[in-house]
Amino acid sequence: MTNENTTLVVKDLRKKIGKKEIIKGLSFELKKGEVFGFLGPNGAGKTTTIRMLVGLIKPTSGQILLCGYDLHKEFSKSIRQIGCIVENPELYPYLSGWENLEHFARMVPDIPKQRISEVVELVGLQNRIHDRVSTYSLGMRQRLGIAQALLGKPKILILDEPTNGLDPVGIREMREFIRYLAEKEGLTVLVSSHLLSEIQLMCDRVAIMSKGKIIRIDTVEHLLSEQERVVWKVDPIEKARALLEKETVIAGEKDGTLITHYDAEKLPLWNEKLVKAGIKVSEIRTKLPTLEDLFIELTGGETID
Amino acid sequence: MINLIHNEMIKIVRKKRLLIIAAIIAVLVALFTYAQLKRVQSIQERLGTTDWRSQLQQQIIDTQNRLNSSGISEEWRKFLQIRLRQQQYYLDHNINPSAPGAPTFMRMFVENSIDLFIPLMVMVISADLVSSEASGGTIKLLLTRPVKRWRILLSKYLAMILAVSFILLSLGVISYLISGIVFGFGGWTLPLLTGFSVQGEELDTSNVHLIPQWKYLLMEFGLAWFVSIVVGTLTFMLSVLMRSTAAVMGIMLAALISGAILSSMVSSWESAKYLFMVNLRLTDYVSGMAPPIDGMTLGFSMTVLTVWGLAALIISFLVFTRRDVY
Amino acid sequence: MKVNSVKLISALSVLASGVWLVGLWFTIKDQFFYEAARPVKEISLEDVAEEQKDGFQIVALGDSLTRGTGDESGKGYVGYVLDELKTKTKQTIYVKNLAIKGQKSAGLVSQLQQVEVQRQIKQADVILMTIGGNDLFQGGETLSHFSLERINQAKAKYLRNLHTIFKTIRNLNQDAVVFYVSLYNPFNDLADAKKTSAIVREWNFDSAEVAANYPKIIVVPTFDLFELNVKDYLYSDHFHPNKEGYKLIGERVASLITFAEGEKNHDE
Repeated sequence: MTNENTTLVVKDLRKKIGKKEIIKGLSFELKKGEVFGFLGPNGAGKTTTIRMLVGLIKPTSGQILLCGYDLHKEFSKSIRQIGCIVENPELYPYLSGWENLEHFARMVPDIPKQRISEVVELVGLQNRIHDRVSTYSLGMRQRLGIAQALLGKPKILILDEPTNGLDPVGIREMREFIRYLAEKEGLTVLVSSHLLSEIQLMCDRVAIMSKGKIIRIDTVEHLLSEQERVVWKVDPIEKARALLEKETVIAGEKDGTLITHYDAEKLPLWNEKLVKAGIKVSEIRTKLPTLEDLFIELTGGETID
Repeated sequence: MINLIHNEMIKIVRKKRLLIIAAIIAVLVALFTYAQLKRVQSIQERLGTTDWRSQLQQQIIDTQNRLNSSGISEEWRKFLQIRLRQQQYYLDHNINPSAPGAPTFMRMFVENSIDLFIPLMVMVISADLVSSEASGGTIKLLLTRPVKRWRILLSKYLAMILAVSFILLSLGVISYLISGIVFGFGGWTLPLLTGFSVQGEELDTSNVHLIPQWKYLLMEFGLAWFVSIVVGTLTFMLSVLMRSTAAVMGIMLAALISGAILSSMVSSWESAKYLFMVNLRLTDYVSGMAPPIDGMTLGFSMTVLTVWGLAALIISFLVFTRRDVY
Repeated sequence: MKVNSVKLISALSVLASGVWLVGLWFTIKDQFFYEAARPVKEISLEDVAEEQKDGFQIVALGDSLTRGTGDESGKGYVGYVLDELKTKTKQTIYVKNLAIKGQKSAGLVSQLQQVEVQRQIKQADVILMTIGGNDLFQGGETLSHFSLERINQAKAKYLRNLHTIFKTIRNLNQDAVVFYVSLYNPFNDLADAKKTSAIVREWNFDSAEVAANYPKIIVVPTFDLFELNVKDYLYSDHFHPNKEGYKLIGERVASLITFAEGEKNHDE
């Protein structure tokens, strides 16, 4: 049932702490070469899910397959497929970057020295790699963290908040780097972030989590187009509302404009009706929602962060 | 496994703890060497003799006088009585228990540091072996490698044992070198008595025999090593259970110090002998000192320590391999 | 370089672990499975090589009086004897005080069996001693109860022991002068002072009789020293002398000790 392109399969994943179920049955599949976004407010279960995916937390029930290997039955084989940074890239500050990488390389069979140089070059840390990590900036630590994650040539990369604490330039570099890994190296990248704009720009598909459940999984494009809106600048506004209510759904009213759902075919018709009724239409524009809008809509007003 | 242990050794060495411990030992040894030198000088001045027999005789007389003073505690009286008998035994058999020399100093240093100083040093190393990974967040990287958790913990435990061995080695070498400058480096073959056993207030000498000082020292270091590993294992367990290194140190420190205090006052609280911290002075059994509670023997103390150590080890592994890491 | 230090420490640690393990093994073998093969030999006096002694050796034997109980400076009469002698001679004087508080004559007899004690007596030039106070007074008890019968019993035992003590000392050392400091009556300001003084006088007389059997044993009386103003010379326990009391004894004993030209002591 899984084809070769499926790298990560999660089936009915659940976690109970005490009597409280905090992850209530997640199922999803990730494909080779895709960047998958994980989205949700604090307490939605994002971090718990990611920690279950990398074996830090034992699920109460459910199955995780990494490149076909069951995470709990074949821990070593399956965990080899994964490279990850969970939360901050915390490395040993009293060792140099190079020693940190050597340290982790020793824990995986058959990683030649050459591979360490390779990943160092890949993240562009050649100049400072022999300095102690405690002298690194956050951006450099983040890069060292990624180097560490890539060390074992994983097929799946799991990054928890990869742009956290980076400056705008750093954020763009990171984004490009992640896209590069997915497109050119064929890695599956799972990213969680609270910066919705980041997810929007970086991911192919998105899962939205709330209260321990995935409420939506879809491509970014699809999600956005479905939620496209029309903004009407009209006068008088009450009259226009009464009229449009009969035609479509009023999504909101803001700064003297009405916002309705979008329908490409019917839009000219609605406009005609308004004009005929003697309402002044000074502006009609369509508006792509941000994920934030989307999120608020889907979760019914839960805020992110 | 060797790779994993190598990793742990790198971390221990690079944290510079071993260096600090060596420095502390050096300072303490220098201090004690000086104190010992002063003591020897003052005894010589007082007795006007360098003859150890006269000195030991005088010590015996002093002890007897103290025994006859009113108002000394029951524990202390017993301790003095046993020591008195032992000193007399040494004197009667023409053996100097404290012939000057670096090996003698080493022996006294180990005997006096086995229940507090050495465990403290061991604690400095083992307290943060696991907890620092948890508080530093590196545990997450460590556990997402293709290595089973029990192997990771085992590598840490073995590294701790190696570090303990190293601490004792540096203790031996440093105390030998520093005290040797003052007292001379000889005295390895000096005969010493062992095999005393204490029954109540009586000193049983039926099994007493002579062994050369080098062997005596090796035995005492072996016992100190054993004690260190048990203390290390307990600290290790706390380190697994707790994120805060400070909390680990606090608890161990409290346990060790309470042990030192309890040892001098528990003779009437018999079940206290099952506490690990009153069983740390293993070298006392070799040298024939009275145990804190009647009926305690080397075998008993070692068994108690082994049980505590094993329990701590089992708890460590169970918790570490099953725990969810947040 | 850095890696090498780790490797070096690791290698040393492994080595050390091995060594300590061997140590532990020795311990287990030695402590648990030792079979008493040959008992350790006790030494006799002949085994202890006669050491070249220097200076003037004083050995003090006996009970709390010789120890100096009651003198807050801790010197006791022995200390004052030493002070006095230092002004008399340029020789270095060494004092070995083997007195034990509360010791009775029987205790001294067994103390004299100890090889080391014997060795020190052998080397002594002068021996100072007090004994019998605890046999007689038993901490002030006997005299207040005043059972003549019990006192005589104690005295008989004491005199036998005194014989043994003097005999032992003389066997070990024919030359050293023994200064036997006899008893005073600490109770002679109390109601039945007459009776107690009589007892002490008799005790001292009998002791002196024993001493007279042996050469070079000098009985130093103290009874007279404490006869007047006993309170001024006694410590707060009303039994031991205080500093002043010890000074009196010390001066008296010191005045009896003389030195031969550069040589050893001189006898009476």
